[in-house]
Amino acid sequence: MKRAAPLVIGAALLLLLPLVAIEPRAWLTLTVAGLAMGMLIFLVASGLTLIFGLMDVLNFAHGALFSWGAYAGFTVAMLVNGHWGWAASPSVVANAGLFLLAVAAAVVVAFGLGIALERVIVRPVYGQHLFQILITLGATIVLEELIRIAWGPNDQVMPVPLTFQGSWDVADVVVLRFPVIAIGLGALVYGGMLWLLNRTRVGLIVRAGVENNEMVQVMGHDIHRYFTGVFAVGSALAGVGGLMWGMFSQSIRPSMGGEQLIFAFIVVIIGGLGSVTGSLVGALLVGLSYNYVAYLVPKAAIGVTMGIMVLVLLVRPTGLYGVGK
Amino acid sequence: MSAPAPTPVQAARSAARRERWRAPSLYVRLALLAAWVLLPAVVPSYQMLDLALKIALFATLAASYDVVIGYTGIVSFGHAMFFGFGAYAVALAVGRLGASTYGHLLLGFAAGIVISGVLAVVVGAFSLRVKAIFFAMITLAFAEFALILAVQWGALTGGEDGLSPKLPGVFAAGAPGAFGLSGRLVTYYTLLAICLGLFLLMSRFVHSPLGRTLQAIRDNELRAEALGYRTFVFQLIASSFASVVATVLGGCYTMWVRYVNPESALGIPIMLDVLLMVIIGGIGTLYGGVVGAAFLLGARTLLPNLRGLGASVFAGSEILQRLSERWLLYFGILFVLVVFFFPRGVLGTLREMAARRSTAPPEG
Repeated sequence: MKRAAPLVIGAALLLLLPLVAIEPRAWLTLTVAGLAMGMLIFLVASGLTLIFGLMDVLNFAHGALFSWGAYAGFTVAMLVNGHWGWAASPSVVANAGLFLLAVAAAVVVAFGLGIALERVIVRPVYGQHLFQILITLGATIVLEELIRIAWGPNDQVMPVPLTFQGSWDVADVVVLRFPVIAIGLGALVYGGMLWLLNRTRVGLIVRAGVENNEMVQVMGHDIHRYFTGVFAVGSALAGVGGLMWGMFSQSIRPSMGGEQLIFAFIVVIIGGLGSVTGSLVGALLVGLSYNYVAYLVPKAAIGVTMGIMVLVLLVRPTGLYGVGK
Repeated sequence: MSAPAPTPVQAARSAARRERWRAPSLYVRLALLAAWVLLPAVVPSYQMLDLALKIALFATLAASYDVVIGYTGIVSFGHAMFFGFGAYAVALAVGRLGASTYGHLLLGFAAGIVISGVLAVVVGAFSLRVKAIFFAMITLAFAEFALILAVQWGALTGGEDGLSPKLPGVFAAGAPGAFGLSGRLVTYYTLLAICLGLFLLMSRFVHSPLGRTLQAIRDNELRAEALGYRTFVFQLIASSFASVVATVLGGCYTMWVRYVNPESALGIPIMLDVLLMVIIGGIGTLYGGVVGAAFLLGARTLLPNLRGLGASVFAGSEILQRLSERWLLYFGILFVLVVFFFPRGVLGTLREMAARRSTAPPEG
């Protein structure tokens, strides 16, 4: 309970302080938008923190997987919409079907790419950070160029299911629909990850493997297969994040992953390496403050994430939830 | 009384001094320099002149990055940012302070160096304090921030359109009296001299006792710390030094192309180019930058011709045509392969082979 107190106070301050300058209705809209943005960033950052925090692999190809997920989902959504018109139909069931199929495509493609990446590129360079950075950068170039070859270098318009667009009017407050879905999905992923890591046998083995790789192997577990799995799950999260981001901004382009990767890195640094809760808190912090500041001082919005990062590092060099190794 | 026996370092240094005039690499370097100096007289085409000077500039930039990544062992993605600061400082001083004079040109360089020096120390103080691998991420974030700032702050930087400053005096008009050199050639030789000077300075830097300490930190930080070296200070000095060198080169780049915009001076693509040059040439070799820059820039200049060829050969198939257009893809693949199979790059591999031959037992 003692550890929760600063968190509660911090959250209350962060949420209520902008009320001084922003009128309540706009504040509510901004808060929802900020939470949604935070959750979208969390989807990307959580995959990153899984791969980096647990396996100590600096994966710069994460952004490329983000783009691949978006493009895979885009292709399926276009196909489904082209054949049955599920995106344009007013039926919620058809819309949800299209959405789920797109998510499934993003997961499958990013998961597969994650396995391939881990097997071919990452496995030989475990424990060598410099080479991890270099080689995953190379992989990023290749993956992004492959997108440009397959889908062309220009922006594409992402089909968004009809009932997911627009907004609800709750007591005169405009609540956009898609952000709410994003918040739900983010919460689901957060819960799932905590459950998987802390409550299941697989999570136990993975955590033990991080602590003492050789001992876990002596106990008869093929730790490399678990690591491949963790890497692939992290990649799949990046893919889903890419798809959600594409639907959120309604357009996709090959370089989108690289741009979001910066945000994700900042969030992981703020939250502390390897902490899922840390990256959630960091992502919400960035998402909320970005939206508040963008409303008050539009030009300063980009600076605010950097400011938060510098501030956090000054106070806690290992991040909010990080433990020094 | 006999002189005390030399320490291992002294012995190694005197051995290197004895070898200095016999080593073939010295003559390779001198020949390269001669090629650069004589090129304008031999090949009067502007395209070749442009390519040669860009190779010189980027080779020096890659070498300065090598000081950080190869000799100090810290991965920074903010190096291109300092290059961009220099480029913008010179462009702003010459283009926005009224008349284009030598004083303003010097002021631009001085301002760029001071700003970069201060910022490099600040960024380093923040990010070197935390785990070394954070450095890459934090510098990347700073670089992205600088890029966004340059685009957004259009009133000062000209936004996406950039700036096209006019150079003062002999750099624009040339020196017709003594040598009959055009403004381009005066600029060419001035910048070549600056590059050479910076290269020698960096060579001195990495071979000084300070440089040796840096390599010790790179190889085993804990041990260097245990020996009493304040590793943080040394890393800070190295990264700040390299950043200032990059700033000067950025100013030189503006003087040559007479144009800056965020994309060409500050962007992540520049950073990737420099990284590729260092890796291809050989990490921790300093002179590898020359190989990497020559390869990358040469290929980029020649590839448009290849692209035309690809369009004519694969006229029927769109996918094949696209495949021939995305030359960056092949660089990516090449990059991964180089990191896998020649982690020491072209020059590093050559040096390794030479070292193996000289230590191998004589045959027969």
